[in-house]
Amino acid sequence: MFAIGAVGFLLRRNLLVLLMSIELMLNAVNLTLVAFNRVHPHNHAGQIFAFFIIVVAAAEAAIGLAIVLSFFRVRKTVRSDDADLLRNWP
Amino acid sequence: MSFELMLALSPVLIVVLGGAALMLVEAMSTKKPDVDESASSEIALGTAMTLLAGAVAALGVWFYGPENLPSAAALAPYFVLDRFTLFFTFVLCFGGALAALLAGGYLPEHRLDRGEFYPLLTFSVVGAIALAAAADLLSLFVALETMSLGVYCLTGFRRGSTRSTEAAVKYFLLGSFAAALTVYGVALIYGATGHTDLAGIKSVIRAFSANAGDPAVSSRLAVLIVGMVLVIAGLGFKISAVPFHMWTPDAYEGAPTPATSFMAVSVKAAAFAMLLRVLIGGFSDPASMSWSAGWPPVLAAFAVLTMTVANVVAGRQESVKRMLAYSSIAHAGYLLVGVVATVRSSADGQGSVLFYLLTYTFSTAGAFGALVLCGSRGKEAVTFEDLAGIGKRHPAAAAVFSLFLLSLAGVPPTAGFFGKLYVVKAALGSELYVLTIVLLLNSVIAAYYYLRVLVYMYMKEPMAGAPIAVPMKSGYVAAALVLAAMAIIGIGLLPGSSLEMAIKAALS
Amino acid sequence: MAAYVPLLILFLVGAIIVGAMFTLTSILGPKNPTEEKMMPFECGSDSTGTKHVKLSVKFYMTAILFVVLDVEVVLLYPWVVTFRETGWHGLMLMAPFMALLVVGLLYEWKKGAMEWER
Repeated sequence: MFAIGAVGFLLRRNLLVLLMSIELMLNAVNLTLVAFNRVHPHNHAGQIFAFFIIVVAAAEAAIGLAIVLSFFRVRKTVRSDDADLLRNWP
Repeated sequence: MSFELMLALSPVLIVVLGGAALMLVEAMSTKKPDVDESASSEIALGTAMTLLAGAVAALGVWFYGPENLPSAAALAPYFVLDRFTLFFTFVLCFGGALAALLAGGYLPEHRLDRGEFYPLLTFSVVGAIALAAAADLLSLFVALETMSLGVYCLTGFRRGSTRSTEAAVKYFLLGSFAAALTVYGVALIYGATGHTDLAGIKSVIRAFSANAGDPAVSSRLAVLIVGMVLVIAGLGFKISAVPFHMWTPDAYEGAPTPATSFMAVSVKAAAFAMLLRVLIGGFSDPASMSWSAGWPPVLAAFAVLTMTVANVVAGRQESVKRMLAYSSIAHAGYLLVGVVATVRSSADGQGSVLFYLLTYTFSTAGAFGALVLCGSRGKEAVTFEDLAGIGKRHPAAAAVFSLFLLSLAGVPPTAGFFGKLYVVKAALGSELYVLTIVLLLNSVIAAYYYLRVLVYMYMKEPMAGAPIAVPMKSGYVAAALVLAAMAIIGIGLLPGSSLEMAIKAALS
Repeated sequence: MAAYVPLLILFLVGAIIVGAMFTLTSILGPKNPTEEKMMPFECGSDSTGTKHVKLSVKFYMTAILFVVLDVEVVLLYPWVVTFRETGWHGLMLMAPFMALLVVGLLYEWKKGAMEWER
């Protein structure tokens, strides 16, 4: 799942899909943590960590959506290839 | 919550409560951003005051001695209150305060006068402080995101500008990708060791290397190493070391200059705090610190690449802001040399990194501030050409700019010189001769492009008809520059006491 | 590592079956696309408008605010579950958190982010 997210992030060109890929990666981390928590049952660190990641991922998604939205308002596109103004700047 | 705990946490509490109060004041204020002149300037002043108060409180707790406040240990390992944290609290608050002052001049000048800038800045500083204090991977991750999310918004603050939003998109996507990598690495480390606190991880790794032949241990060790690689990659992104630096120039250039200054100063300092915490706190056992199987060769390679690539590319820039962005990458390379030097003598290496960060904070914030000062609305200083002849027209602005650039270049009477000197000393003490030579060569390359600005400012005349930069008039920016300049000259003349503090702040 | 071999076989078999199904249907299945079939299907009626329906920005605003405050609830669940054990101490620890959330909510309110008609 982490690999799908990472590959999606590297290959896709739609900013919203990139955003989703990142969420996918974070969810993969959650699964990994909860699964590892069964290997280390002496405390609940893994599950607690997963809780925090859920919250942080939501905040991140909100910010990301807002940023992509403002990008879209200015540029009328959500393709990451079109984000090339700065590179052409000497 | 006891009084003792309140005292111990006073720097953070001041910043959090002050930030929240200012946020409400700003929301309740009846001033309209488009109608009133400089509607948010009181908030700028308040933010700067809050952050400076946080820095002063950190100094106070430093002199009171964190070891005299045992009840703060209840928060460990999620929030460790030691001299390391206090040192970084001071640096981060100061960097944030300088950025707030710069914003107080910059935002009204460029019609960006919206008060949201300051709460975002303040809470990013809170995240950065928490990052420096976190000795548990959980709180480290949460703090990292608290800091980063604020900075992403600051980058895209100029909403109508294509450059600014684009920079924010790039920074956000790559930043959260790196954060996801880091946290996956953390999950793997947790899986291998069963701990998220760095001390626990360290003890488990010790136990691993004690019985290395066991097949159960070796499979766990493989997971651990993959996790460590992912974490170091994520950290490398945050400090913008060279293979992971692609976002830096774009984000720095697109962001409004005060935000750039904050990113270059406080975010980078916090990222180095995190790097030191993780490496010294979690991975400082002999096996992972060895040159054959641990992190030192990786970081040394990063350091060489970072210094060289950044300096060579910086020399070819036409935009001064982008040049400063590359120069800040190069400085991350110098700092990495100091980090590698912790292998032999932990206190010296860390002390040199901390001291360098202190000098770097003032020099870089000052340089970006001087860039802010040199441009007014519609007449911004962007390229080298824009700065031509400014030494004659506006000697004061040119003089402070020169001071900060000389400090960045490491010319003797300034603070930057001593920063570099102690990194070199630490590197020589650890017998890192190759790294030292690369560092010195790079300083020479770097001097070329810093001096190029001076040449343009003092020796060139603007071409006929070319747009010229006209400095703005702002008490806030002037105050920030005076503060930074005083700090640079002060540290340059009397480096001893602050260096002593930096060495004292080192993690054991 | 030997313990993971069955898992690996499971993954492989799954991948092969899925891949085979997709390729076989695309090779074997009869294809005679007509105008009627290529049209987007919308409950039997002819579709109207483009596929990109312009949603007003205020939907996004509300959605963003909703997501954040909604997910903060996740942090409350563990507290609720352990409320009897943690008691007053837990309440005192959660109070600052809730206070900060309230500050955020107030800020939102005053900034007019929740005004539907603007």
